[in-house]
Amino acid sequence: MKRIFDIALGILAAIGGFVDIGDIVFNVAAGAIFGYQLLWVVVIGVGAIITYSEMCGRVAVVSGRAVMDVVRERLGFGAGLVALIAGQLVNLMTLAAEIGGIALALQLLSGLPYRVLLVLGVLALGVVIWVLRFEWIERVFGYVGLTMLVFAVAAIKLRPEWNEVASGFVPGVPSSNLAVYAFFAVGLIGAATVPYEVYFYSSGAIEERWTPKDLGTNKANAIIGYTLGGFLSFALMIMAGALFFPLGISPEALGTVALGAEVPLGQIGLLLALVGVLFAVSGAAIDTVFSGAYNMAQFFGWEWGKYRKPVDAPRFTLGWIVMLVLGFVIVVTGVDPIQVTEFSVIFSVVALPLTYIPILLVANDRTYMGANVNGKLANVLGFLYFLIILAIALAAIPLMLLTNGGQG
Amino acid sequence: MSKATEVDIALGILDHQLVDSEGHNCGNVDELEVRGLDGDAPEVVEILVGGNAWRSRGLLGRLAASLSGNAVHVPWSEVDSVTSVVTLKRTAEELGLNRGDKRWARLIGKLPGS
Repeated sequence: MKRIFDIALGILAAIGGFVDIGDIVFNVAAGAIFGYQLLWVVVIGVGAIITYSEMCGRVAVVSGRAVMDVVRERLGFGAGLVALIAGQLVNLMTLAAEIGGIALALQLLSGLPYRVLLVLGVLALGVVIWVLRFEWIERVFGYVGLTMLVFAVAAIKLRPEWNEVASGFVPGVPSSNLAVYAFFAVGLIGAATVPYEVYFYSSGAIEERWTPKDLGTNKANAIIGYTLGGFLSFALMIMAGALFFPLGISPEALGTVALGAEVPLGQIGLLLALVGVLFAVSGAAIDTVFSGAYNMAQFFGWEWGKYRKPVDAPRFTLGWIVMLVLGFVIVVTGVDPIQVTEFSVIFSVVALPLTYIPILLVANDRTYMGANVNGKLANVLGFLYFLIILAIALAAIPLMLLTNGGQG
Repeated sequence: MSKATEVDIALGILDHQLVDSEGHNCGNVDELEVRGLDGDAPEVVEILVGGNAWRSRGLLGRLAASLSGNAVHVPWSEVDSVTSVVTLKRTAEELGLNRGDKRWARLIGKLPGS
């Protein structure tokens, strides 16, 4: 019984932890511009993140090696360093976007000036990371982030044409506006698969001291948690498709997104939406902060882990403090967090193949994995998603330039 | 190493995690010193960790090496076992590893609750 309870807790945390500022921005914008037409793309993104999270979680459990460790081993120092630098730049951009999202959500809740809230937000993150244990960080933000489910209620209340929603799950291409459509497809997959998710997921498996008897938990967390997280993405897109698409509004601000819950549900909807966004984005900020520190420590072989006392993993501790400070410095310059989000998602797609290929290789290595090597299904899906990721990685930047970042 | 096993040194040792006798991470196998490559019995004599051990690791490695100090040399006789990590027979401190952690621990240790 305790075991089922643990699995349920993990899954809940995964749902809340999946959705971040990138998912919010891209799903809502895609819904506002293309209605429900891009829903099928989210399915691909969620499939990819399930496949690779399960795989890297299994590698971490069986061999004790998290993602950046495996990257270094398989790619060597030179190519590994390229993967590290790319991963860290993307982590930092993502973090800056999430911190901006925190301040925007706080601003909508409190009305205080944005820059003041940036400082308060970052200080609060620092204190939370310093004081709370790993499990609690994951859970608090995961659970409270679940209030984002208000967007699902909002989507239903807005009475979308369900047959149109259903046809959005069938892959298709529009007759016009093809480049912008493709840009959003890339962005949606990128938002669902941001690299920090696998860095954090695999390191988290070691933080939580998973052993081979937790392999079932790993699978359940990845499959159920991310599927339900994907459900939240659908909700955001359907909400935007039902509300903003017919009006021709393209939400440029987080406030407009929250309006999607306020219109059908009133003040309480708005409040729940903002609290949900605040916690989901804060949780993601913490995940990226840790990911930055995990990556450095794993690449260079230092002691790491939130489960250790800060003084027992000093370079890891220093790593997350530096990440937090750098993330703050980027947003405090006054860059638009929504713009940073778009950049971070597009660049994360470019960095992804270098992260995924070592995972796929090690998961197939019997000397590492013993009886827990990839089965046929994991390999077919792993290879298929790798090809998709590679294709969109090559297309990402040309599409961004061609469409002027989705503006058409 | 205690028992004879066949290991691919490029894939199975190079760039792997080093763990000391107390289970602490203490760097990565950044380079291997191999002797007797022209003879019929080449053997690994040393593991190089950190600093200029990276200089032989491509362009970026040269750059990284030029920015850091000397590598730590760990004799191969100090290796206890090779699994997904390379485990050493003595502590990091005895082998001169993890000096960076020691340096930063002094600073981090000043923070409350560390």
